[in-house]
Amino acid sequence: MNRFTQHEKPALLEIRDLSLSFHKQEHMVIDRVSFSIEAGSTLGLVGASGAGKSSIARSIMKLEKPDSGEILFKGKNILDRDSQQLMSARQGMQLVFQEPSASLSPRRTVEQSLLEPLNHFKIGDAEHRQEKVLRILQTVGLDQSALRRYPHQFSSGQQQRIAIARALVTDPELVIADEAVSSLDVSIQAQILQLIQDLQKEHGITFLFISHDLAVIRQIADEVAIMYRGQLLEQSPADMFFSKPAHPYSRLLLSFARNLAPQRTVGDSWSLGRGRTRSDSSNACIFTDNCPDKMQICEQQAPVSRNIQDKNQHALRPHCVKCHLYDEVKADET
Amino acid sequence: MSTVALNVKNLSIWFGDGAERKQLVDRVSFSVNAGDATGLVGESGCGKTMTAMAILGLLSTTGAKVRSDAIEINGKDISVLSAAQRRQILGREIAMIFQQPGTAFDPVFTVGQQISAVYRRHTGGDKKQTLKAMLESLESVGFKQAGEIAATYPHQLSGGMRQLAMIAMATVCKPSVIIADEPTTALDGSSRALILQQLERLRLQSQTAILLISHDLTVVKQVCRNVMVMYCGRLLEKTDCESLFSHARHPYSAGLLSCIPRIGSTRPSRIQSIPGQVPQASNLPPGCHFAPRCTRAESRCRESIPTLDADHQGVVACFRPL
Repeated sequence: MNRFTQHEKPALLEIRDLSLSFHKQEHMVIDRVSFSIEAGSTLGLVGASGAGKSSIARSIMKLEKPDSGEILFKGKNILDRDSQQLMSARQGMQLVFQEPSASLSPRRTVEQSLLEPLNHFKIGDAEHRQEKVLRILQTVGLDQSALRRYPHQFSSGQQQRIAIARALVTDPELVIADEAVSSLDVSIQAQILQLIQDLQKEHGITFLFISHDLAVIRQIADEVAIMYRGQLLEQSPADMFFSKPAHPYSRLLLSFARNLAPQRTVGDSWSLGRGRTRSDSSNACIFTDNCPDKMQICEQQAPVSRNIQDKNQHALRPHCVKCHLYDEVKADET
Repeated sequence: MSTVALNVKNLSIWFGDGAERKQLVDRVSFSVNAGDATGLVGESGCGKTMTAMAILGLLSTTGAKVRSDAIEINGKDISVLSAAQRRQILGREIAMIFQQPGTAFDPVFTVGQQISAVYRRHTGGDKKQTLKAMLESLESVGFKQAGEIAATYPHQLSGGMRQLAMIAMATVCKPSVIIADEPTTALDGSSRALILQQLERLRLQSQTAILLISHDLTVVKQVCRNVMVMYCGRLLEKTDCESLFSHARHPYSAGLLSCIPRIGSTRPSRIQSIPGQVPQASNLPPGCHFAPRCTRAESRCRESIPTLDADHQGVVACFRPL
């Protein structure tokens, strides 16, 4: 059993050993990633651009076809389902994109955009749908006058509210927010984060919240998962992550985020690169080129992920790290 | 006493006339000293980028009306120049780093060709000099294999590397003023640190005056000593970064600061936000534009316009500052 999947509450979404490659299976975009999200909680998925965060979101929505692995939504693998079954699963999960202006059709009024998912899933009759659209619009803080207007007549913050409303109108259990607040001003970002927190409290929605901004993640996430070049390096309860990040990359990310001060040592040696390729024969840890704590073993053998959660803490969520620094912590191994 | 490199006096920008008039920037004045960095912060649509474009004289084709008493670079008024004269200045004495390096570069030329073109246009240097200057500028922003980078096309670089190349292009002629418009927005933490490091280097080593436009106060705090807060085309507060962060005097500045999510060891209870929406440029409230969203507003705030009054601690345009 993979150590990333040992939650005590049932997981709404569970990903097991997911791999995805591009370019004739050469370039690994997602490299054997496993994690799970408890129902009603928020997992913050963090990483630099190109780390594979969005590819995971797209795989969950089945917009990409993973090479291997499983994506369990409410216990059922969505990857081996036929299109009919998939459609009913999709109703339960929705995606909010980064650019609201690009994700709303410019030729449809807000009402048409909000009705579309309801029509598609054949939810209720016409009257019921109208009612639902109005209610969801109020939930996200817009009034009735918005219905007949087009996306370009709104500010970007309002557009993102509409995009969130469209995602929520089918009453999904899981919402994947892919950099949903990254392009917004801080003041509007704050309003959208408030909205997401309120929605979670009222409707118990589970969020997979993808962002490169750790300050935003601190605000919203119960758990944090760190990705680097296609691999998941650490998954940790948020409080633990922000007080005691375990992986050297997590520590670097946090120091970047806490203090933007130009750091010559990091800047000079930071190498921008791609993930593993399938033909790559080296078995080194993916983070060796940039790791400040590199050891000899890191070049020779890829680390496996271990749960380093202190047994005495009785924490519900595991704290898993993929790093040789924690090899000696074997107390919890079975 | 350092010299004033960029001086903007009473800049106004608007579209349309009469009842249709949309005021985008309203009598904005400020200056940036050589070797100094000043931040211009505000929400999107508040007129930050319009201010930058007006300084560079890039608004003439948009139908916007621009009026100013003067826009001076090293004491020379550039607002009165003809288009041809202006072209001599742009890139050489004042340069801009755009928000989206992906669209600012031409996709059909290599990075090296584009940087060389700027240098040749302004200095008339021969091939050898141009090549040398181009490679030096790429090296100066931290590319170790400058030759390789010069031979790549913009789409082959990542967002962060493209922005670094953009800085190399802006600085190849060593301008005395650089306007950086949201240079780190949409970049991740490590790339952002690299870009800010380069701006810092320019300021210290080349004594460049930097106007940093951003909606992100934490970025401004990192690079700038002084900061200006803009709302609906007006400057509401002008002060040094330290005082703004320790004691913001305008209620809007304080509101902006409270919106910034922070990383603490305990999870913050609930993020603060400023209630209400930014008003439309065609429908600005009379008096202080922020009054309808302000918790401290009283009747005079809705009637008359507070001006930027100098007192001991920076400058704030508010009748009831904090």
